[in-house]
Amino acid sequence: MPDLTMPAGSRLDPPRVNRRSFLSLAAIGSFFGAIGVALAGALRLPNPAVLPGPVRRFKIGFPDQFAVGSETRFEQESLFVFRDAEGVYAISAICTHLGCSVARAPNGFACPCHGSKFDLRGDVQAGPAPRPLPWLEVGRAADGQLIVFADNEVPEGTRFRV
Amino acid sequence: MNDPSTRFRWVLLLASLVTIGYLVAAALRENFLAEWYTLQKEYRQLLQSKASDDQGRALARDFRIELKQVSVPQLKAVDRCVSCHNGIDDPRMTGVRQPHAVHPGDILKNHPADRYGCTICHQGQGVATSFRDAKGDDVSWDYPLLTRELTQSSCLACHDVERLPRQQVALVLEGKKLFDEKSCASCHKLGGRGGTLGLALDNEGAKTRHQLIMVNLKPPYTTWRWHQAHFRDPGGVVAGSQMKNPTVTEHEALALTAFMLSLRQRDVPESYLAPDKIEQKARALHPQPLSGERLYRNYCFACHGDGTYGRWDTTFRRFIPAVRGPSLLATADPAYLEAQIALGRPGTQMPAWDARAGGLQPDEVKALVAYLGKSGGILSGKTGIFDRFAQNDNAPVLARGDANRGAALFIQNCAGCHGVAGHGGVAPELANPTFQQAASDAFIVTTIRNGRRGTAMPSFQPRVPGARSLSDAEIADLLAFIRALGPAARKPQTALVPNDLVKSGGSR
Amino acid sequence: MASTATRPDRTTATQEFLHNLRLLPRTLKDAWFRIGHTPESEREVSQATFHNLFLHIHSVRVHVRTLAPAFTLGLGLISAASFVVLCITGVLLMVYYKPSTTLAYDSIKDLHYVVFTGRFMRNIHRWSAHVMVVAVFLHMARVFYTGSYKKPREFNWLVGLALLVLTLALSFTGYLLPYDQLAYWATTIGANIANSPRELTDAIGISTWFDPGGFQKRLLLGANFVGEDSLIRFYVLHVFVLPVLLIMLLGVHFWRIRKDGGLARPEEPMGGPAEWGGSMKRVFEPLATKTYGLMALVKGRRPTVNRGPENTVMSWPHLFWAELAVFMLTVAICLILSFYSDAPLKELANPAVPENPAKAPWYFLGLQELVSYSAFMGGLLIPLIAWVGLALIPFLDRRPGGEGVWFGTPGERRVAWQSLLFGLLTSVGMLAFTVNFGWLRNWFPRIHQLWIIAINPGSILVLLYAGWSLLVLKRKDSVRLAAVALFTCFLIGFTVLTYFATIHRGPNWQFYWWPSQWPVH
Repeated sequence: MPDLTMPAGSRLDPPRVNRRSFLSLAAIGSFFGAIGVALAGALRLPNPAVLPGPVRRFKIGFPDQFAVGSETRFEQESLFVFRDAEGVYAISAICTHLGCSVARAPNGFACPCHGSKFDLRGDVQAGPAPRPLPWLEVGRAADGQLIVFADNEVPEGTRFRV
Repeated sequence: MNDPSTRFRWVLLLASLVTIGYLVAAALRENFLAEWYTLQKEYRQLLQSKASDDQGRALARDFRIELKQVSVPQLKAVDRCVSCHNGIDDPRMTGVRQPHAVHPGDILKNHPADRYGCTICHQGQGVATSFRDAKGDDVSWDYPLLTRELTQSSCLACHDVERLPRQQVALVLEGKKLFDEKSCASCHKLGGRGGTLGLALDNEGAKTRHQLIMVNLKPPYTTWRWHQAHFRDPGGVVAGSQMKNPTVTEHEALALTAFMLSLRQRDVPESYLAPDKIEQKARALHPQPLSGERLYRNYCFACHGDGTYGRWDTTFRRFIPAVRGPSLLATADPAYLEAQIALGRPGTQMPAWDARAGGLQPDEVKALVAYLGKSGGILSGKTGIFDRFAQNDNAPVLARGDANRGAALFIQNCAGCHGVAGHGGVAPELANPTFQQAASDAFIVTTIRNGRRGTAMPSFQPRVPGARSLSDAEIADLLAFIRALGPAARKPQTALVPNDLVKSGGSR
Repeated sequence: MASTATRPDRTTATQEFLHNLRLLPRTLKDAWFRIGHTPESEREVSQATFHNLFLHIHSVRVHVRTLAPAFTLGLGLISAASFVVLCITGVLLMVYYKPSTTLAYDSIKDLHYVVFTGRFMRNIHRWSAHVMVVAVFLHMARVFYTGSYKKPREFNWLVGLALLVLTLALSFTGYLLPYDQLAYWATTIGANIANSPRELTDAIGISTWFDPGGFQKRLLLGANFVGEDSLIRFYVLHVFVLPVLLIMLLGVHFWRIRKDGGLARPEEPMGGPAEWGGSMKRVFEPLATKTYGLMALVKGRRPTVNRGPENTVMSWPHLFWAELAVFMLTVAICLILSFYSDAPLKELANPAVPENPAKAPWYFLGLQELVSYSAFMGGLLIPLIAWVGLALIPFLDRRPGGEGVWFGTPGERRVAWQSLLFGLLTSVGMLAFTVNFGWLRNWFPRIHQLWIIAINPGSILVLLYAGWSLLVLKRKDSVRLAAVALFTCFLIGFTVLTYFATIHRGPNWQFYWWPSQWPVH
């Protein structure tokens, strides 16, 4: 009975089914490369290039409209703007508990909905509010007006020098 | 032997390389080669070069290169103009090339872009991110970008244009004045008042290019180019148009166009309306009556001219009576004139003008009639011209004669101008129901006897010796025939004479 | 066995742990690929194909003819590949598209202008949709002309016809989604074509009691006009119902290919001559007087070199290379087209301003031309006849022989050319006649509508084609040749009508030589 196992390397061997050639590597490599590039682009797609909805950025007036020691309330934009010797700062009027508008109280702010009380720096004195009223970033627009970026919070005490 | 899949590997390689190439090219084209990207880079350099203090340097440093937009949900606008027009509110950006320049004038002080967007005033395709697409003057957008001088027509969306600083809305105001002067409302309703020969113009500014006939224009097909061409040559733009050429200069046509574009019913939230606009809307509910002279100029002048002579109109192919002609006014009583104005002449181009039709209040009709009576001209200086009516020469009221004999007389003497069945054309339509209802027998008899000065109607009882003259009996026969032409014999189905008009005199 | 038996001496559990951590990449790979390396022997290749969820729908070996591009032209794969591209780009578009009449148009504008790659994705989606529709039609023609519907493949032919309808339905439902003027009015036209039975029921006066046309239209639109209800319906159909049905039927289609014995091919002896992809070459000419002969010199232990039994090759790697290549080729072509040509978007849909001309999507334009003659004939009866006719082909032509080869029956090529000519002349002639002379309603203004339903250019063309096919049936004495005649006539007629309605019909459906001549409104 002839030995049907062939010696390795015989000329009569059937060629290996998977001829590893440069062409195959290049073809498969470029295929996966194309898939990769496409995937990268596709994954970038759900990331919005522009955020929908109005940007909460308000021009509040020129610096000389805010005297030192003054406080101004902006109803529609839900914020208070203060100016002291060090500069201008804005505190959000949206209660950190459940979002009602706080009112000005003798020593700070008070929320009429569930009784949260804040001092003049926005720290919580009483009530269910979990964190202080945020201070909002104040900047200067190109035409010289002060501009409040209501989407950006800044650490308590940050003032914008004018 | 050759591997059957070699060619496929080649194809795969090539196709994948082509795919990668195009993917990368598309990403580059969209991001780094985009118009707004290069413009923002330019702008950043501008900011840096113009930074002269800390604030300027901070602005230059904080400037991010990204797509920018102003979103104003109340106005349903998402305007991306600010992706290229970065400097609109930076007063330092003067003397720079567009689109970096600051917004001209001080409009932005009262209309900050954050609250108003851009397209509420400028129109155009705000969602676009390239200038060509933002212009929107092709099939992809209904309201293209307005030209600089026509932008003021958007002010009427929120303002009463009469209460704005004159120089900012000069063109619209001029157009409004021209509208009255040229008597456009004779044919075109505005605010519910006007004639019916043309389209109502209340929302003319909201029309898109598809609602106007552009076939005789060259591109770009914008509504304002249409209006400008149309005002200069109505018949050339709209084939078969009955509109008279208002004979305006290029500038006047532009002013009228600005006014047309301002006529737009916009759905602007109340918080955006200026107080004067709200007052204007309130006033419009109770309009002040106009003077007779203003009324004539606004609603009658286009067809009747100054009214002292009758004329043949080639477009209407009809005779237009001289409504301020002395002979008419000598014979017509106020009730007759009021009826004619209020009810119009159905079947002709004269529309009805009463409150339900042309929109004139009863006291306005009376004022108009009074104005007609005060006409200058030949009988200037004569007041109370209607007083002459009762004292007209040779004016006993004739009883009606025989209509059959009258028919023969009518054919001989009258049909040449008034038509065989009295349907008019060259001369007024005697068979017209309004005429028949409002005119009295005496009116008809006196007119036949005395003719109408300034028109082609001769006197048929001239007091000139040797001239041909109809006898009273013949005139009575004619009267009978003329009465038989109209529907006066039977009671009309619909009451043509409203109750608040004085009933016409005369016998039936 | 104690665990210490596998551990070399003096290694601790910590060392074992670290050793396994180090080998993690390789062990992960080995876990995934059961044989641990790319398959080398035929047995390993078979296993790789057999044991993989996605690959095992293929048979382990395929016939070499499957790989011959000139046979299939890869059309089935192109259709499937473009469908895959459509699904991927479709899902990406769904992230931003909003199916409401007030939001849809703006969301498409946003996709075009601000979404990263949004413009490109939308273009690809549109172009691959066109590619898919063209490919499925050409695929059907290929299958027909190679006789690949014959036993045992009749059922797969029917599945394919169902897939054709689903493809057209997908394309049609997708057309409405941008909700611009093009979309609105094309859908209005399509819905009115669905309403075409009204022409017949109106003509015989029974519409009040029996109105299948109105029923179809309302079912489609959810109202009597295109609006919010239509949009949401079309959206649900387009993104869920139809793709699910299509994928299910595609699965059946591919499975049937395998169960029917692979792609159709002619009978052949083992090995096969060179023209069938074989590799046998004559080495010398045998003499007539010889009683023995050396037939061939081959390398290998079997008579067919590098071929398995029945002239097959391993699917891995050959078939998979072929599939990948066709897939990427389709993708590359779609990308090239999308890079240079934007998907159109006109103004927001405005029911008050009709498009003129209002045209259905291009693959329905042939129908629209027929509908312009008679709504019932062109919108319902002729498509139904065509579709039923197509479905019946494998059941009427049951004579085996000639399958697996283009124009396999003798005389088939000739009949095809003749039918092409006949179909071309008759359809062009019919169109020229109606353009110049009008039709019944022009000559007899008061004629009853039933006459027009019965006798119109569409029905006449159908009769002519049927007559031609019967002629071929009689003269050539072959059902297959008659089928070829009829199929070719319909194919060319469809093409001519589609071309005509695309280019030569302008505003008010008037005839124009070129779109540049269309009058400006």
